[in-house]
Amino acid sequence: MYGGGNVFEATKFDDLEQEDPVKLAEFEARIARGEKIEPSDWMPQLYRKQLIRMIEQHAHSEIIGALPEGTWITRAPGFRRKLAQMAKVQDEVGHAQLLYSAAETLGKTREQMLTDLINGKSKYSNVFNYPAFTWADSNIISWLIDAGAIVNQMANAKGSYGPYCRALDRICAEEAFHLKYGHDAVVHMATGSPIQRKMIQEALNRWWPPIMTFFGPSDKMSMHTETLMRWKVKMASNDACRQQFLDMYVPKIWELGLTVPDPKLRKNEEGVWEYTEPDWDEFKRVINGDGPCNAERLAVRRTAEERGAWVRRALLAPKATYVRPLA
Amino acid sequence: MSLPLGLEVGTLLLKWHLQNTKIIKPSDSRLATQNSGPTSMSIESLDPRVTRLQIEPEPNPLPKPALDQLITFEVFHQKKEGLPFTYVGPVHAADEEIAFLFAKEQYSRRAMCSGMWIASTEHVFVSGYADDSTSVYDTMPSVYVTPEGPEQSYEIFHLKKRGKAHQHVCTVTARSSEHALEVARQTLNPAPPVVSVWIIPSIHVLRQEEDRDMWATTPEKKYREAIAYRVQDKIDRFKAEQKA
Amino acid sequence: MLENAIKDLLYKIADDQLILGHRNSEWTGFGPMLEEDIAFSSMAQDKLGHSLAFYTLLHQMGEGDPDTVAFMRNADQFHNSQLVELPIGEYDFSLIRHFLYDNAEILRFESLSQSTNEEIAKIATKLKGEVRYHVLHANTLVKQLGSATQESISRLQQSLEYALPFALGIFEPSKHEQELIDAGIYSGEAALQNQWLERISAVLEKTHLKLPEIANLQPVYGGRYGQHTEHLQPLLDEMAEVFKIDPTAEW
Repeated sequence: MYGGGNVFEATKFDDLEQEDPVKLAEFEARIARGEKIEPSDWMPQLYRKQLIRMIEQHAHSEIIGALPEGTWITRAPGFRRKLAQMAKVQDEVGHAQLLYSAAETLGKTREQMLTDLINGKSKYSNVFNYPAFTWADSNIISWLIDAGAIVNQMANAKGSYGPYCRALDRICAEEAFHLKYGHDAVVHMATGSPIQRKMIQEALNRWWPPIMTFFGPSDKMSMHTETLMRWKVKMASNDACRQQFLDMYVPKIWELGLTVPDPKLRKNEEGVWEYTEPDWDEFKRVINGDGPCNAERLAVRRTAEERGAWVRRALLAPKATYVRPLA
Repeated sequence: MSLPLGLEVGTLLLKWHLQNTKIIKPSDSRLATQNSGPTSMSIESLDPRVTRLQIEPEPNPLPKPALDQLITFEVFHQKKEGLPFTYVGPVHAADEEIAFLFAKEQYSRRAMCSGMWIASTEHVFVSGYADDSTSVYDTMPSVYVTPEGPEQSYEIFHLKKRGKAHQHVCTVTARSSEHALEVARQTLNPAPPVVSVWIIPSIHVLRQEEDRDMWATTPEKKYREAIAYRVQDKIDRFKAEQKA
Repeated sequence: MLENAIKDLLYKIADDQLILGHRNSEWTGFGPMLEEDIAFSSMAQDKLGHSLAFYTLLHQMGEGDPDTVAFMRNADQFHNSQLVELPIGEYDFSLIRHFLYDNAEILRFESLSQSTNEEIAKIATKLKGEVRYHVLHANTLVKQLGSATQESISRLQQSLEYALPFALGIFEPSKHEQELIDAGIYSGEAALQNQWLERISAVLEKTHLKLPEIANLQPVYGGRYGQHTEHLQPLLDEMAEVFKIDPTAEW
């Protein structure tokens, strides 16, 4: 599960003039031909840095994303939901594993990435700093947050970096289950008893504002952004993703008789969705640590790492040497 | 617990959270019987599992030491008996045995599988990568001097297209990984494209091909397949009722 | 009556699996490594799936539907051993419990796959492969951690000593033992326990762990007759929290 906003805080735009022009031309020609870049290929520093940052944030979003839905893992009602909720949250952990591995091929170790996560140095998708108050919240997350993630990930799967694409192909296949499962659960609630309907409407009300920030603010089109798009690192603008999401899912919400808590939301004559501009000040505040669950999310992750340390220490063979995974 | 609604949700949630995060004295959570409730200092979470972890707020953790996440192993799976083993990705683990335990659930819990090979990343010799239309074999020198040394068996894997996965093509006998590459070129003489070749000494490949029963029930676990969730009828019924 | 004896047997098997699967799902997101987190979750799902298979069989024999049976009973109506209801503790305890339980489970499944009751035999035969992985997982990790560092050895030893009397409770004889054995439904708890001791001893011998003298231990019985620790009812309340908002609703 991951949204945009990944290039929201732009890295310093390294001077491309420092790169070897011949190698840079070959690299760009390969991407233009539609070929993937593999780990041992030459690549510009900016490409490497931006990809590490993006894949790492994506990985963090998966492992932290396991927590809001994990909130309801022991309370899922009935066998069918209980099994699916377990499998769904497990998949998020699995996605983190795949993505950390993809980022590792670029030269940052999993140790470094996890350290940066638990110290609050790295970011992850901001929506996971919000709590899942009820079972219905976890249904909304399973459906709509995963729906948003799919929009983003399907775009990124067409990117240029081989290991990231391989991971995303798998992730997208698994997300198809998440999306259907989430939709199934929301449909059951929305067409169910009055209390179920109330629960799901309230959950939608709580989650709509975070969902609208999921893809990040409108991109500032800079040289930097254009370069990353040419290199197929950034595959779609945040606004384009948001529009696609609204187009695909608002009708599905409405057909269940649910109300989207935004009076301005409508599709205009040009086919563009209009909406109340999300509260980007809150977004920035929360992403910088001041959200309802930031402290807990990191504390949980840190604790899991600390309490598992003895296991890893014991398993480690004395002569082990680390080699980056191959692909 | 009253549930805050609407667009001001962020602020309300923050207040709620501060009220509900208590800080008091920690206690020993080691023994199973003791970790049932929060200690006075630990986080009380919406997730009862988190509450039971008795987490004390403790900022500035130390950086992870090198090898904290152990080492990496490359995983190849076989979809069906008779099909070639294909690369699926790495796992972190301590040795091949544990790598298999981990790989089985990471890479075959959702797909048909009839066997798995595991090799430590350090045992994989990588030829380098050619363009999508060419063969990496064609970039090798045409004259090759066979090295000294004992012969052993090597597994050869080809990548046909960048972004796709390496696939097992044959086993050769050779005196070194480089030599195995040369032997593979001579025996296979493959038409391009061969973007990249991986070579692993056979003795360093852990093979799990015998106990296929472990995977026998995977296709039946429908609860983790999209296909198990069909709600169109329910939606149609609901819409019809709304109209009526 | 044999049918009641069979039901009693199926309930204790299914209840064990449900409660342990539930407990182990508490690890998801908190495991000692990402990869182990995933493996532990798979096994928890398998356990839940196994309980569902046996509750479904019970339903076919006239008992309530699986959701009602799993989510609406109180602790004193559960037949699980007390071992499985204990909190997850730290990883050493959960691993040792998994080791002790699954080495018993594989024997139970092997015995049931030979059962004269075809329905039971069919389920056991089908699901045996999953338990084989569970056992391989547990044994491999116990072998490694049980002979690795002083810390890992002492943690596992401590958990082993703590868990063992509870694990003996898996084999608490029911009042139908002889009837089930005579009818060829399965080999009976005493036989299973003996084979189990051999199995776990063989693994522990390869480690620095010491199996306490079984004869000196007082098995923790009662679970099979509805007597439980203080941990089971809260677990059930938590599990059914949403379900009970409206037990007649489709969730």
